[in-house]
Amino acid sequence: MARRQRYQRVLLPGEKEGRRGFLKKGLVGAALLAVGGGTWLVTRRTRPVPALGGPLRVLSAEEATVVLAIANRLVPERAGFPRPLEVGVPDKVDAMVAMAHPATQKEARQLLRLFENALTGFLFGGQLRPFTASSPWEQDERLRGWARSRITLRRSGFRALKRLVYAAYFGSPMTWAAIGYPGPPPVPPPVVHEPPAPGLDEEEDAKPAAPRPPARPAPRPAEPAAAPRPAEPAPEPRPSTPPEPRPMDPAPAPRAGMPLPAEGTPP
Amino acid sequence: MSPEPRNAGRIVAGADLRRDVEERPDVCVVGSGAGGAVAAARLAEKGLRVVVLEEGARFGREDFKMDESTAYPALYQEKGQRATADQAISILQGRAVGGTTVVNWAVSYRLPERVLSHWQKVHGVEGLDAAALAPHYSAVEERLHVREVAIADVNANNRVLWDGAGKLGLARELLRRNVWGCQNLGYCAMGCPIDARTSMDLTYVPDAVRAGARVYSNVRAVRVERSGRRAATVHAVALDPRLDRPGGRKVVVRPKVLVLSGGAINTPELLLRSGLDPGGRVGARTFLHPVVASLAVFPGRIEGYRGTPLSVACRAFADRGPGKVGFFLEAAPTHPMMASTAVPGFGADHEELMSRLPDVNGLLALAIDGFLPGEEGGTVSLRGDGRVRVDYPIRPEVWEALREGAKALARIQLAAGAEAVYSLHEDPVVMRREADVARLDRAPWLPARVPLFSAHAMGGCAMGMDPARSVVDSRLRMHGMENVFVVDASVFPTSLGVNPQETIFALARWAADHVAAAIG
Repeated sequence: MARRQRYQRVLLPGEKEGRRGFLKKGLVGAALLAVGGGTWLVTRRTRPVPALGGPLRVLSAEEATVVLAIANRLVPERAGFPRPLEVGVPDKVDAMVAMAHPATQKEARQLLRLFENALTGFLFGGQLRPFTASSPWEQDERLRGWARSRITLRRSGFRALKRLVYAAYFGSPMTWAAIGYPGPPPVPPPVVHEPPAPGLDEEEDAKPAAPRPPARPAPRPAEPAAAPRPAEPAPEPRPSTPPEPRPMDPAPAPRAGMPLPAEGTPP
Repeated sequence: MSPEPRNAGRIVAGADLRRDVEERPDVCVVGSGAGGAVAAARLAEKGLRVVVLEEGARFGREDFKMDESTAYPALYQEKGQRATADQAISILQGRAVGGTTVVNWAVSYRLPERVLSHWQKVHGVEGLDAAALAPHYSAVEERLHVREVAIADVNANNRVLWDGAGKLGLARELLRRNVWGCQNLGYCAMGCPIDARTSMDLTYVPDAVRAGARVYSNVRAVRVERSGRRAATVHAVALDPRLDRPGGRKVVVRPKVLVLSGGAINTPELLLRSGLDPGGRVGARTFLHPVVASLAVFPGRIEGYRGTPLSVACRAFADRGPGKVGFFLEAAPTHPMMASTAVPGFGADHEELMSRLPDVNGLLALAIDGFLPGEEGGTVSLRGDGRVRVDYPIRPEVWEALREGAKALARIQLAAGAEAVYSLHEDPVVMRREADVARLDRAPWLPARVPLFSAHAMGGCAMGMDPARSVVDSRLRMHGMENVFVVDASVFPTSLGVNPQETIFALARWAADHVAAAIG
């Protein structure tokens, strides 16, 4: 299960220096490394969550477990908010990491392991347990410690984790009901610009390249008569063009803002 | 007229290449965004044989599902994860046939004259003045149907800026947009599902193709091979669209003239990758218009994810006098995925603010970087593993501008009736009345302590007269190279202080004449 390996040199996104340089910024990092304390602390294992589900692309089961543990604190239980595991946050984060450059993938995995690491927890927060084995209170303290650290590298790491986890969670339609987001509106008919250029879609015979007609305003849907006018007058007089004639659209387009039920139904 | 297959313009997807391709056009344009598309169209219309290489895919309106989780990875650089190396500034740049114009908020501005005169005085730019650019601005405004937003189309999110600035007596303006039949859906950043934005993929790219240009999509230029003072060959690889990794086919282009239009990060990247940096200035002077955001909860519905995402600006703070960095104020849509990564804190506080999302207003302050003496902005460089790297050390003067910008935004939001205004610090400053705004002065303004954003990457191949301080001359030709031009936002020697796309269009149209002259 957990790989028993000497801890690798850890580089966060954008980090110039190696782990030793990084740890030296901590108070006792260099001393601990010198006496080999690091090795003992980092061999504490992450217990993978069995419910993680499907095969992961890039992350190990342990790393995905760290993602889930972070997500569970970023989105603690609250009525209406589905749990991160239901939303599939570890899997979605794995998919996002898998899209990145291989070197970025490696950094993301190192970041997760560093965050989980009991040694860093000890150095910066005095906690001797891996993140996933800590209490919710300790986990929040650890997250806050990274978010508000005096060391840019830890704040950067927190930013990266926060972006990944929240993007995975709130990108899912399952979460939209909790935040009152109705999802996208229905798509009105497209705007017709000009005849398509030859050769753009099919390998059809090129038509003579006639001089391009100037852009012709497409028919705009008439504004609903009941559109609320702003309470204030228009700004300073400006030489704006008079409103263009807007031919009536035969089928009035639905108003933007019409709520649509979200596709995913929250449990 | 019978078509001549060899020279017929078309768009070729990299995945459809059955064998390696070699092209010997007059001009090779790398990139099909605001710079590349306009330059390619203009050059093709002059009768030149043009090949365009675009690493992004070609999308159509049916691909645009108004869904953040699929749109950002598909349509943005680095799958939407591009950021400075310290993660302090998220950088939004498009990646598609049409470049960022496929996903931007369609704001079109002409460049303020004082910026052009600053370039002339400080950077030795010659011949590029308001009179030279004016006809090109006019032409693109007509082609792209640039019009001022009607006040009735200002959504509640932008109304906060309009109303709040009005109450405080600050000058405000309605923006001009390049749209046509826009129905205010609010999903510009995910690609327009009804083709209402006159983005490059719907305008100048088809124009170029109609005039005979050949556009390769999903084909990434990886290296420029030089021969003396000339770029001899562009080596490119076709990308497998499913994996977005090289699929095996190669495209080799041996042009008479090379036009680099990959944008302010990718053009310096390609030059560095190719060892084309004779003066050691490639990647220097990168500017971002660093953005700070302010979120406010209102008693009524804002629905910032609905309606034209950006229609109002306040430029009252753009010129703050010598020694100060100016800023301007705009609005930002509040779609949940993007909003959730910006909302301060985590846990219950984050959930509480997210649960009010329909009532949340988002405003932005954009710092106008690059104008102070000695201000060098950021740097684009290559990592040992081949990835591009962007560093942007934030100067104290820029932090000051971001802090004052956040204060201006908070005052505007409170004046417009906000219940509470939140800074984006991990432990946010929460402001309920004007007197609270001063607390922003004591907040920790540090990298990655408060998230910053950029949607306007500029510079990295600065134009100027002095090869020791710039990369291209005033005609956008690379110093020390006979046939290499840079035609995109990377040539700006400072930021613009306005949304940049229209200036890139006009600059590209102007530059095409110089490029054509170089072919002889």
